[in-house]
Amino acid sequence: MAERRDQSLERQDFAWLVLMSLIFFGLVAIGLWREYATAWRPWQREFKLVLAHAGRFQDARKFQPGIRQIWNPELGVVDRCVSCHLGYEWGGILPAALRQPLTPHPNLSFMNRHPFDRFGCTPCHAGQGWATNAHAAHYGGGGWEEPMLSRRLAAGCGVSEAELLQMRCNFCHRRDRSTQGMDAINLAKTLIKKKKCLICHSVEGQGGHSAPDLTYEGDKDPEQFDFSHIAGARTVFNWHVEHFIAAGKVSPKTAMPDYDMPPDQARALALLMLSWRHINYPPQYIPQPQSAPQTAATPAASSNH
Amino acid sequence: MAGGIQRLWRKLAWPWSPASDREASEAIVRNLWLHWFPAKVSGRSLSWSYSLWLGTAAASLFVILTVTGVMLMFFYVPSTERAYGSIKDLEYAVSFGRLLRNQHRWAAEGMVALAFMHMARVFFTGAYRGSRALNWLVGVALLLGTLMLSFTGYLLPWDQLAYWAITVGTNIASQAPLVGPTARYILLGGHFVGQQTLLRFYVLHVFFLPAVVWILVAYHMWRVRKDGGLAAIEPLRALRRAEPREMPRTKSYSLFGLTPGTSVAVASSMGLEESDQVASSPNLTRRMMLVFLTVFNLTLLLSLFINAPLEGPANPSVTPNPAKAPWYFVWLQELVSWTTVHLGSITISGGLLGGILVPGILLAALILWPFLDRSTDAEGVWFAPERKRQNAVFVVITAVIIILIVVGAWLRGPYWHLYWPWSPRPVLPRVL
Repeated sequence: MAERRDQSLERQDFAWLVLMSLIFFGLVAIGLWREYATAWRPWQREFKLVLAHAGRFQDARKFQPGIRQIWNPELGVVDRCVSCHLGYEWGGILPAALRQPLTPHPNLSFMNRHPFDRFGCTPCHAGQGWATNAHAAHYGGGGWEEPMLSRRLAAGCGVSEAELLQMRCNFCHRRDRSTQGMDAINLAKTLIKKKKCLICHSVEGQGGHSAPDLTYEGDKDPEQFDFSHIAGARTVFNWHVEHFIAAGKVSPKTAMPDYDMPPDQARALALLMLSWRHINYPPQYIPQPQSAPQTAATPAASSNH
Repeated sequence: MAGGIQRLWRKLAWPWSPASDREASEAIVRNLWLHWFPAKVSGRSLSWSYSLWLGTAAASLFVILTVTGVMLMFFYVPSTERAYGSIKDLEYAVSFGRLLRNQHRWAAEGMVALAFMHMARVFFTGAYRGSRALNWLVGVALLLGTLMLSFTGYLLPWDQLAYWAITVGTNIASQAPLVGPTARYILLGGHFVGQQTLLRFYVLHVFFLPAVVWILVAYHMWRVRKDGGLAAIEPLRALRRAEPREMPRTKSYSLFGLTPGTSVAVASSMGLEESDQVASSPNLTRRMMLVFLTVFNLTLLLSLFINAPLEGPANPSVTPNPAKAPWYFVWLQELVSWTTVHLGSITISGGLLGGILVPGILLAALILWPFLDRSTDAEGVWFAPERKRQNAVFVVITAVIIILIVVGAWLRGPYWHLYWPWSPRPVLPRVL
């Protein structure tokens, strides 16, 4: 009796054990494959060919596949963007027409003062530096609030990509009167003076106290704004644009006058508002305050870089 | 040739069939890992349909959680500055890091569910009475330990989900009269969720609570044996007791001569016949292996295809809309929101009723139930007619909790309004 029961249990369970073991091996195989088939691997393979094609055989041979990152603890930067954007520092050697993500970074006039190894990618471009796949890096997802400042995002705001990026330049350059290459922000800074905003508002302890302090205006959460009178996109950027044009319409109880300014001025000011954030960059990253400009007549003359 | 293949197969399949009962028993008794099993078990307690093996499955998850948890500890940094980044590193840069974290997460949520289902099984089979009442209490403690482990682990990623779930959870706890605010202060190490909270939750999560739960698990298992095995054998045992027994042909001797009754060789200490039992090795061990492997495969499958949630980094100044407690506590949050009454400008918080009284009464009922249960003779069978009313009470309470969890976890959208899963939810404003 006991003997017979043992065998029937064995027959039942043995088949299931074999099945479960096969499923286990199958799942482990999928796991191994997932670990190998990363998003960056095909790009690295292609980049090796690109290097060889450009005659850099030595570099192509030395190229080892793996996650690459620019790590700068001073800024809290862990930018793995360069795992795919492999051509970023090969400007002049690799063709500029190379397709993304391998395209070399354009050699802009300020790049020599903003080297890659000190600044990384995300301080200027935003996005999720930790991520090692394009979607997570560019859009974040799951409540990630700093999507990469892309051309599409800029178009949605009615500005160019370069103008949108100036918002982040101003994290460090906020105390500059004007900065070369930051035309939109420079325009906004002159408007702040021209429209005498600081009679009512205060920024970094200067100005009036009859209107909200704007020092860290860019840190306000979208839900802290009232969008009930906003006609266009429900974004903080657009809230500021519409508010600068017709403050009374956006906030009916406000004391702020309707400036009825051209949209490009309103957009420049909106960029400036979003740039005023509480960012703790180390002092060596903050540019020295400019000496008083020799000719303060025009804002262009004061940009002495 | 055929013989060679057979030998190879035997090597691969690694079969073992003990030649005698003695060999089978020794395999259990002499083995460090197996000696906490009985040498023989009743066939009925091995059946799938009686226990559903829920307790074993929950214990399997705890083993998986311990192993994956120790591995995660090599990467995780319990500081408010590094915690979130170390989770991001696990997700994107550490080999198999995402898989490891996913498996830990899904095993944890599975353990909460399985521990509860195991408790429900014990309730419906009336397996908590008599000497088993003590083990029922240990089980209740284990359920609480599982919930606390899951809750403390919830904070560790230090993202918005974690930060606000713990804020909501501990705010509910602070509604307890007299001790509430102090308990919250001690748990958080301050007045709000911060570095001290993270460190406290980390120590509770990786050392204190696992140690307590492991000790309780060991005691829980030991009590199962002390109580004579699963309650599944009780009907059989009653049957055997009632059976008219012939006097053994061989005489039993006592010090004073012939004595009635059976000799030890005939009936085991369980009160069952030889024919009711099978050797634990390999029947019990093999089935445990099968349950563990199945559970492991399920967690692996989930981990490969569904990612554990991770939101933006914790931000004390921005509350997500809506902020929810973890799903196994969201029914309490739901109760609190239902019992919070607005009378003009006065708001009467439902925190005391929904957050403290209801769960307190339910917990007290769980603890006292074995001592209040007056049913007789309905042990070890599913849905005994005699226990109809008790089972109905349990089913209704469980159903209400599940409905509240479904409403809280899936139907609550922005501004804590109700939305059907298919109806559009308002798009929250963005920065750009």
